[in-house]
Amino acid sequence: MSTEGPPKPDPVMPIASPLSRRALLGQAGCGFGGLALADLLSREEARGEARGAAPLAPRPPHFPPKAKRVIFLYMPGGPSHVDLLDPKPRLVIDNGKPLPFAKPRLERTKTGNLLASPWKFARHGKAGIEVSELLPGLASRIDDVCVVRSMLADNINHTGAALQLCTGEQAFSRPAMGSWLTYGLGSENENLPGFVVVCPVNVFQGAQLWASSFLPSSYQGTLVRDPARPIANLAVGDRHQRATLDALHALNRRHAAGRAKSADLEARIESFELAYRMQAEAPEAFDLTRETAAMHRLYGTDRPDTELFGRQCLLARRLVERGVRFVQLFDAPVNNAWDHHGGLRDALPKRCRAVDQPVAALLGDLKARGLLGDTLVVWGGEFGRTPTAEGTDGREHHPFGFTMWLAGGGVRGGMVHGATDEFGWHAERDVVHIHDLHATILHLMGLDHERLTVRWGGRDYRLTDVHGRVVRPILA
Amino acid sequence: MAIMRMVVVVVVAMLACGGPGNACGEDGAFVPTVEQRSWWAYQPVVDPPVPDVTRRDWPHDDLDRFVLAELEARGLGASPSAERGVWLRRVSIDLTGLPPTPGEVEAFLADGAVGAEERVVDRLLATRAYGERQARRWLDVVRYADFHDGNPAARNPVCEPLEAWRYRDWVVGAFAADLPFDRFIAYQIAGDLLPPPDGRDVHPDGLVATTFLVNGAWDRGDADKEKMVSDMVDDQIDTIGKAFLGLGLGCARCHDHKFDPISTADYYALAGIFYSTRMLEELGTKGGEITLRRRALVPAEEVERHRRIAAELAAIDGAFGALDKRLPSVAPDDPERVALAARRSDLLPQLPPSPPMALAVSEGGVPGGLFPGIQDVPIHERGSYARLGRVVPRGVPAFLPGPTPQPISAGSGRRELAAWIASGENPLTTRGIVNRVWQWHFGTGLVSTANNVGLLSEPPSHPRLLDWLACRFVEEGWSLKKLHRRIVLSAAYSQSSAATPVGLAADPANRWLGRFTSQRLDAEGLRDGMLVMSGKLDGAGEGLLGPGKPATADVAAPCRSLYLQTCRWDRSGYAVLFDAANCDASVENRSVSTVAPQALFLMNDPFVKGMAVAFAERLFRDVPMDVAGATERRIERAWRLAYGRAPDEDDSAIARGIVARGDAEPVPVGWIDLAHVLLSSNEFAHVD
Repeated sequence: MSTEGPPKPDPVMPIASPLSRRALLGQAGCGFGGLALADLLSREEARGEARGAAPLAPRPPHFPPKAKRVIFLYMPGGPSHVDLLDPKPRLVIDNGKPLPFAKPRLERTKTGNLLASPWKFARHGKAGIEVSELLPGLASRIDDVCVVRSMLADNINHTGAALQLCTGEQAFSRPAMGSWLTYGLGSENENLPGFVVVCPVNVFQGAQLWASSFLPSSYQGTLVRDPARPIANLAVGDRHQRATLDALHALNRRHAAGRAKSADLEARIESFELAYRMQAEAPEAFDLTRETAAMHRLYGTDRPDTELFGRQCLLARRLVERGVRFVQLFDAPVNNAWDHHGGLRDALPKRCRAVDQPVAALLGDLKARGLLGDTLVVWGGEFGRTPTAEGTDGREHHPFGFTMWLAGGGVRGGMVHGATDEFGWHAERDVVHIHDLHATILHLMGLDHERLTVRWGGRDYRLTDVHGRVVRPILA
Repeated sequence: MAIMRMVVVVVVAMLACGGPGNACGEDGAFVPTVEQRSWWAYQPVVDPPVPDVTRRDWPHDDLDRFVLAELEARGLGASPSAERGVWLRRVSIDLTGLPPTPGEVEAFLADGAVGAEERVVDRLLATRAYGERQARRWLDVVRYADFHDGNPAARNPVCEPLEAWRYRDWVVGAFAADLPFDRFIAYQIAGDLLPPPDGRDVHPDGLVATTFLVNGAWDRGDADKEKMVSDMVDDQIDTIGKAFLGLGLGCARCHDHKFDPISTADYYALAGIFYSTRMLEELGTKGGEITLRRRALVPAEEVERHRRIAAELAAIDGAFGALDKRLPSVAPDDPERVALAARRSDLLPQLPPSPPMALAVSEGGVPGGLFPGIQDVPIHERGSYARLGRVVPRGVPAFLPGPTPQPISAGSGRRELAAWIASGENPLTTRGIVNRVWQWHFGTGLVSTANNVGLLSEPPSHPRLLDWLACRFVEEGWSLKKLHRRIVLSAAYSQSSAATPVGLAADPANRWLGRFTSQRLDAEGLRDGMLVMSGKLDGAGEGLLGPGKPATADVAAPCRSLYLQTCRWDRSGYAVLFDAANCDASVENRSVSTVAPQALFLMNDPFVKGMAVAFAERLFRDVPMDVAGATERRIERAWRLAYGRAPDEDDSAIARGIVARGDAEPVPVGWIDLAHVLLSSNEFAHVD
């Protein structure tokens, strides 16, 4: 290029139409691939206009989706992959021996010796996938499940790893997965929140895991601690409420006349009507007593050990049935319930008992209702646990190779994807990073993770930052 | 005038570096591109001539000539002035966050003398409420939070910013006292290094101001301590860049900035300054909590005296315990016991109160980290501390405009960084703050992205006005009050917000300022307004809540919303529902959302219902039952309180329809419904 005059665009860049400077610069992104973003930017701006009035109005995906909604079953603390879904005979052979390769650079506590799983595995389903005896319910549904045994995360602490799993970023505030999805797609039921989080207790970081961050707060996860009191201020108003609202509208309409920003004022008027309808609809959606006794038995809400997660799973089904876009369940009777540093032999079976029947019920129920085909179910923790022992009866945090599973929503059932090494330490074959999982979830929902961007603080952000690739072999 | 510290540039074909961003010199050194060098934000501020305008009777101030010249150049017109009552409500809420009282409205409407507006503005600027309102705006910019955990019982004192409220109060005081903005910057970056103004050993304000550096979104710790510290350093660079320079510097952590002339070497030159700053007391055990750095706000000898006496008292308690355990038991009149008791009663009155502490930094890095002590740090290739490159000397970004930086001879370099930022010759700083204050008043800045004036931003709508304001600001001693005063007394600010169809079509976004843009009340303004209507804010809770105290979790507390807690881990509170800033990173402007849960809050929350009852009761106190025409007078009173204006005939008809539903109670329910309607209404929630 010459030293004189205004800078010229890089000639190798494909330019279909005259681009604004900003769009041209946006094309390069902060290291992003060379997509033609010009039309996307203007489309986003146009969308932004519509958003003020109805932030959750349905918006078209980038391409036809396989899944329309997601249920994310999050197991905070980190379930042990080598005890549940990734059997390692070598651990039995080398039980009690030291790790036969260099100690990892990053370890929280001094890495102990290899520890064989105390539990038996058996093959299940048409594909003969090995599942631990601790998860009989899941084993019975395994033909609908895609087990990913090669997950990789970047952080060894709950704090950073949980943030990465839920938002894609370990250290800084970013919009949660559910925020991105509701931002990108809206919701199918504007009378309910589009992104619901059911988390019985406060967990580390709390709201950062479902925050909308720099997206508008309409895309923040709505936290439900107790399904009996799902949303604040849902109480049906007194007998004057309808008349009071009518008077409010009369005043508001007079006020709006002749004013600029009338769409904004109209949106605020409409929000009161929406709230009025939500008062009627939401209690019904959250009311588990409307389910039959048989359904309660199926989900295990009638038994103490499965009651809590059973209620969460049953609620998740009621919500997705009504069009909620993203439901994230935390198995959190206490903070970090799956964090088995010690007491593994007692505590892991207990956790599995709590979630296994409800999860199996959820998969079966979704399938029976014809919802599993377009509802993506994802199960997992922020990391797995070391194949080595912590003390005598525990395992440490382990982000280097662990297992998650997906079901429904355009994912191939009855398959295993990827593998860890023979000790279950490193994800070795077909590695799936958390960013890849995110890219895949967006893909199944009809969104290109490289195109779902938001301009903030001078650059374009995405759920997958500058990473992520769709895991194509698991797509149905 | 600013000196552009630009090297002689060898322009190399951009293709050589594979993108439209910066080029590389022959030795691989960073060289800014022509576009970067010529970008408006990196040019020195030039005091422009005041433009001529056709409509000479419109401007109140030279500021207005810049606005009018742009309008006239586009064939657009300015709007007539807002009605005086509307202007008063606008300026009162804008400056103090509180609506005017009916008495203030009456007094202003009755004041036909020249200078009535000036008198109002001077009165408002002199209030503490002004400091509180502007402080909240600043706290958004500096990612302020009161706590991580929303639950007081669950807070871990070592890593929770429990003393953050002192910084909040310091910011209120700084605005209220009109601390010059250059000093305001220096306090926050290097307050611990400033000489105490009174010559004493300890400089409480200087220490408290550096809470700015300690109160980051760092959570409680990480097993990977090196990464954790590098994230903290990044948070400080990011916040300082956005808050003071209007630039996102974080991109340069991993690679040379793609758009702005900031290299990784620049980044690690800045990083060295913050690696050499101690914001943590200790790193904590692997996987364990960090301990934030806290410093006493009283002299060392007082701290030592407290420590010594407290230690001796603890030893006496221990000795008593030992005596109690000894068998056979020691009698009450045992000489040892008597002596201990005597010493104890001697000491107790001497024990000074626990020394007040602030979250504050000191010089020297975090002990135990990769870079303890004062030092330059190496470039982290692709942002990783495990791939260290060449060491770069601490300093300010080489290609940014500004004064010649002072060499960093001793210490972390924060003092020198502060001097470089807080200089009249730094156009990023001076334009940055006048733009931010403009945005606070008009809703949109002259540059619409206050935290990013780099190459990805839209250039300013009124570049000459921006420079003119920056020049006046520095000339007037960096006084924010003078800047506010100039803006709110301008003709541009006093325009009506009513839009003609022609005006709307010609300039839908109001970029050329041919009218005032009405604004939604923010979370604090809405709640504080309700407290004012209900008469609950008047000094209630003084001493228990509010200034001088940690923030409260109680949304119904009778204190301004500034004093409600903001928590990084708990986003379920009132203010977040109404778009309060996300306190994890610097926020330049809040989003305005309209969602049903907000309406649910206004319809059903006990706080709002309580406010409606109190508002209705107040109407009955102000206009008792036996007054002739009580209903009409109460309706008028309600309108004046809520909207700052009298109701018209249609308003009154609607109001009568609501209150007629009332049955005979002390305060009929129809009046509570009317109060509830007014507090929920668009007119109450917006400023015209």
